[in-house]
Amino acid sequence: MKKTFAGVLTAALILTTACSGGDDPETADPGQKVALTYWSWAPNMDKVVAGWNASHPNIQVTVNKQDGGDPAVAKLLTAIKAGSGAPDVMQAEYQKIPTLVAADAVADIAQEAGDLKAKFSESAWNSVTLGSEAVYGVPQDSGPMMFFYRSDIFDKAGVAVPKTWDEYAEAARKIHKANPKQYLGTFSSNDPGWFAGLSQQAGASWWGVQGESWTVAVNDANTRKVADFWGGLVQEGVISNKPMYTPEWNAALNDGTQVGWLGAVWGPGVLEGNAASTKGKWKTALLPDWDAAAPANGNWGGSATSVTSQSKHKAQAAEFVKWLNTDPAALKALAGTANVYPAATDATSVALTQPPAFFSNQPDFYTIAAEAGKITKPFTYGPNVNVAYSAYNDAFGKAAETRQAAAFGTALDTIQQATVGDLKNAGFTVAG
Amino acid sequence: MAVTTLVRPVAEVAPPVARRRSSPTATVLLLLGAAYCLLPVVWVLVASTKSASELFTTFTFAPSTHLFDNIAFLTSYRDGLYWRWMVNSAVFAGGGAAVSTLVSAMAGFAMAKYDFRGKGLAFNLVLAGVLVPAVILAVPQYLLLAKVGLTNTYWAVLLPSFISPYGIYLCRIFAAATVPDEVLEAARMDGASDWRAFSRVALPMMRSGLVTVFLFQFVAIWNNYMLPFIMLGDDRLFPVTVGLSGLLNQGATQPAMYTSVVTGSLLSIIPLVVLFLTLQRYWRVDLGAGAVKA
Amino acid sequence: MRTRSAPYLFLTPALVLFAAFLAAPIVYAGYLSLRRVKVSGLGLGAGARSEVWAGLSNYSRSLTDPEFVPSVLRVGAYGLIVVPGMLGLALVMALLLDAGRTRVGTFTRTAIFLPYAVPAVIASLLWGFLYLPRVSPIVDVLSGVGITAPDALSSSWVLYAVANIAIWGGTGFNMIVLYTALRAIPTELFEAARIDGASDVQIALRIKIPVIGPSLIMTFLFSLIATLQVFAEPMTLRPLSNTISTTWTPLMKVYRDAFVRNDVYSAAATSVVIAAATFVISYGFLKLVGSRAFSQEN
Repeated sequence: MKKTFAGVLTAALILTTACSGGDDPETADPGQKVALTYWSWAPNMDKVVAGWNASHPNIQVTVNKQDGGDPAVAKLLTAIKAGSGAPDVMQAEYQKIPTLVAADAVADIAQEAGDLKAKFSESAWNSVTLGSEAVYGVPQDSGPMMFFYRSDIFDKAGVAVPKTWDEYAEAARKIHKANPKQYLGTFSSNDPGWFAGLSQQAGASWWGVQGESWTVAVNDANTRKVADFWGGLVQEGVISNKPMYTPEWNAALNDGTQVGWLGAVWGPGVLEGNAASTKGKWKTALLPDWDAAAPANGNWGGSATSVTSQSKHKAQAAEFVKWLNTDPAALKALAGTANVYPAATDATSVALTQPPAFFSNQPDFYTIAAEAGKITKPFTYGPNVNVAYSAYNDAFGKAAETRQAAAFGTALDTIQQATVGDLKNAGFTVAG
Repeated sequence: MAVTTLVRPVAEVAPPVARRRSSPTATVLLLLGAAYCLLPVVWVLVASTKSASELFTTFTFAPSTHLFDNIAFLTSYRDGLYWRWMVNSAVFAGGGAAVSTLVSAMAGFAMAKYDFRGKGLAFNLVLAGVLVPAVILAVPQYLLLAKVGLTNTYWAVLLPSFISPYGIYLCRIFAAATVPDEVLEAARMDGASDWRAFSRVALPMMRSGLVTVFLFQFVAIWNNYMLPFIMLGDDRLFPVTVGLSGLLNQGATQPAMYTSVVTGSLLSIIPLVVLFLTLQRYWRVDLGAGAVKA
Repeated sequence: MRTRSAPYLFLTPALVLFAAFLAAPIVYAGYLSLRRVKVSGLGLGAGARSEVWAGLSNYSRSLTDPEFVPSVLRVGAYGLIVVPGMLGLALVMALLLDAGRTRVGTFTRTAIFLPYAVPAVIASLLWGFLYLPRVSPIVDVLSGVGITAPDALSSSWVLYAVANIAIWGGTGFNMIVLYTALRAIPTELFEAARIDGASDVQIALRIKIPVIGPSLIMTFLFSLIATLQVFAEPMTLRPLSNTISTTWTPLMKVYRDAFVRNDVYSAAATSVVIAAATFVISYGFLKLVGSRAFSQEN
């Protein structure tokens, strides 16, 4: 049936297909001209890439801006399944890499890029190798979590910057009591990556590999501690239960009723874009800790640049990916123009000498960010992060709406079941 | 009986009761209905005059002065990408609707004016086609088009828009209602071929119906989100719906560009409104016409 | 009939396109719904996954999903709000316009039709702004006169909030369809009644509405189909609230399975179920009303 269909179409469209042409597998001629496509959602990535195109006339890269991590991966996986339509190079969030590897969507570039290990932190490098000999991409940016707060409102309310989560809860109560319209933060059922980062800080690792099988621990004691903490605050009513990244949240950032935000190193861009008029009123600090004596952190966001398995110019694509994420000029452009926090460890000295414009009142911004990155705990992502994350949306949406602390724990069990069930159903070996 | 009125443009049907006393109740009710329908449109009109921070801080219906700044920013965004999206939408909707109208007219004409084996089957297929949700088709369509290497091209969006079961259904009604058999017979007597009878005699008679089908399909394609979203990877090929939703869903690490989305939404509605107002006197629908025929 | 082949030639373009872009994808979806991916071990190496026959397992999983029945019931409830609400409003407006006892006819007709030109994705975004308590002018105005408006996206209101967008977007179109049908009624049919002293309301109820019955049936059917396919509105509103899950309607589940979970096989199975249900309901409805709307002339 597929054949007849293709036949009909090809016959009908013989002209168009002939004209649009396809990239035929080409011979490895170093002097040949190669055109690569690159899917990315970082702003101004085309300007960063212009730097490469200017100095590499034979390897021209075109950026196709995407709608963010989830739609981009959805489209890539559909293209992989279809056998054509994928770009050569792809921005891939760390948590998506196991999924992409499992779908055979990204190429192993160990030969071309294996020598870059020393340029990245162990956790970043581990997310592109998944602990194997293969290299499925080069880390581009990382997202150590940070706490942003309105220093003017903190001062006025006489609240000190919380060092522990207990202090955070106290501060939340105090601020909400002083002005019932104000909240120190919100529990967002729409941002599983955010909650994963907070759980990571508490010592959770939702997936793991045990010999030849996967382990899943979404409802382990560490994550439960985090869920109970937020469930308690939501039930108490001192923390908002509305999702982040809504017009309502924007309004709250603007009018000062959202007093703090547990974001990540890329936060200044979001704050500036949503609430430019509050510039100069925000400050940043490390995340509050569970144990002040053992500071820890989690990640929210961050991505690698991968070469897709459909690319016919793997060597050239890998060369570009290496340049993009390690060349000093590229790092500067990434940090300055594309607004990302480069994962390469020497980026701090090369590209991040100035605080972001929105935080010009905080000269030590990147020192804090570097510290936040250093204490980030290890975390392993599994091959069905998408299933767990969409289960998070639904389960915590319900829980947040009920405002019952007990519902938050139940939500974790729901996610755990959905995640394990999906792995088993697909045929993965799951321990326990 | 009733169907014969179908050919008359609305304007010619003189309002029979225009000189009747006007009723305040009717006027109030109609104005309430209009207010309900205009509320979000007025909102978008006002909101597009606001700067990014005003959008979330000032009273919603208090206009500001930044409309042209917003348009200028939207225009400068990635070298005028927004306007390219508008052109793409126009190409998809205009091209798709034109071809689909012709295809529908031919099929509808054949079903209304000929007796042939398989006619019942063909018509039932069309009806079945009306019932299939586009969301369901999108993924298999993508997988099939990918096999012939057409994804991420204009064709990926255009080709599936060429077929409109609903358009065929309407064209059959219009052809049955507006093209008298005697006229076709006369044309044949004069030695006209079937094609000539169709193109020179039937098509002009079906004109107002075809305008209607064209507009339906134009709006359907212009408003479509799912198909182009799946088919296209290159944002320079996006229609305006997909482009705007991209500005909104930038992922957690980027702020949504609300001002641009709001301004862009306003501008994207204008062409459709203009199109409707200019073609208003031609287009009309009488879904029941086919059934009323005595 | 000069040439026997003529009707077939006229039909050819439509049939080819129909086969390629409707029939083939549906058949392909049917095929996919019987397949699944089988992974072995950790599933990471190349070749660790393969496509195999799944029998009816995708169907049984889809139908036994605990979220499936609630989502079907939800769409049913949604339809009970949207279809009568939208058609009722459209009919009232069309009758008011047709009665011709107002000077604001052209303006209101255009205004009420305008939302048809707004894509569902954009309409939902606009209404989203109007729903969220902190940015909504409606809430502002109501609180100004001392009324605390309910949160439109809270669990008790969200169904109405989504339905409202559909009613807003669809009333104008249906109004025009009904208005066109009303204009086609020969005046003689109700002039006599008017002379006998019948009021506008009586004329509308006793004469006009029965005469445009076929148009009402068709608008009802198309509204019903659109209702079963509700997707874009809840999809756009979902990130704004806690109350709309990723499987809020059956088509949202199809989307989630296909694009979020990368499981086109389950998505295909659910699609087939939805398509079959749509057919059954539509044909059942036509049987029920015994309409000749779809009957063929000649």
